Amino acid sequence: MTRATDDVIIKTVSRIFTPFIQIFALYVIMHGHHSPGGGFQGGVILGASFILLVITQGLDRTRRRFSQKLGTIFCSVGLLIYSGIGILCLILGGNYLDYGKLNKILPVIAAEARSLGILGIEIGVGIGVMAVMYSIFSDIVTGGE
Amino acid sequence: MEVTLLVHATDQAFEIIENARRQAVELLNSTVGLAAEEQRWLEEKRIRALFTGAQAVKTRRLNFLGTFFILFFVWCILSGHFDAFHLSLGVICCGLVAHMSHDLLFANVRFVDMRTIAKRFIAYIPWLLGQIILANIHVAGLALNPKMPIDPKIIRFKTKLESDVSWVTLANSITLTPGTITVDIKEGEFFVHALSKKVARDLLSGEMEDRVAHIYMEADHIYIQDVLDMAHIYGLFRGIGG
Repeated sequence: MTRATDDVIIKTVSRIFTPFIQIFALYVIMHGHHSPGGGFQGGVILGASFILLVITQGLDRTRRRFSQKLGTIFCSVGLLIYSGIGILCLILGGNYLDYGKLNKILPVIAAEARSLGILGIEIGVGIGVMAVMYSIFSDIVTGGE
Repeated sequence: MEVTLLVHATDQAFEIIENARRQAVELLNSTVGLAAEEQRWLEEKRIRALFTGAQAVKTRRLNFLGTFFILFFVWCILSGHFDAFHLSLGVICCGLVAHMSHDLLFANVRFVDMRTIAKRFIAYIPWLLGQIILANIHVAGLALNPKMPIDPKIIRFKTKLESDVSWVTLANSITLTPGTITVDIKEGEFFVHALSKKVARDLLSGEMEDRVAHIYMEADHIYIQDVLDMAHIYGLFRGIGG
């Protein structure tokens, strides 16, 4: 499975569709506070686009595009964004993830601060889930070494 | 005595002027030579850049911009919010994806005019739809006929197309047409399952292949395009030689 597929049709079609899958994933993440979807779903789609690349182009070429080290960093960055926003709300005098309190540092009213806070959480969750999905898949494929 | 002195002095003066003139001419010549050397060096550098790095950089930038604008169009269709906040989010996301995948969308595309390809591809779709309707009627006739005069077989043919995108276009066109299914492509050789003699004959007549070749400017078109691509570089060489 770590080798590239030798089917020209699958290889070419997945190559052409990968950017569109990725932009759809980012759309799902960024519109999570307006429409169905959100960080987890978008992150899974984004991770799936990289898994598709691994299946069709082989692990080596995908690692060159998105290394394992970058995956580990993104795992931590996603979690850091999530917990950072939560703890920021605690520091500003609310509960954990009480986004309304963010209007003390953002130049907007409480309702808009709530919306922006949710967007930040979605981005954090999306990055984290994408990196974890990709890491799990590449660990399974390589047998964990 | 005075006359000879005068003549002598005049001679000397002339000699000095002559020397100065010669030196000035030498100086000017060497300056012109240096300038020409510099210019030739610059021209050589430009040509070397044309063949190696600059072309790659230009292609990468074009790929990035092309991917970016296509993705931004898709983003606008998906999003439906056209306020500054969502559009700026879209610009950031499209830039991110275009940076990650700019070499995926336009990989293996020869350096030709994309607008022509897009125009020809759109013109190809109605013809394909017409073929699909005709083949549908034929296959429905086969299925409704009590004798069922089918003659299933696998035919193989070598294609004259060159790039993977054109192979995929042809393979999917064949599969979309009822009665024929592309089973596999192996090194430019198509394996197609055909349901009856008529569809196999239609396929082997090669009209679909010709039209796909026309879209991507391949096979017969390649020579003209190559000449057009080379004309610019050839002109540069001639400019230096002459």
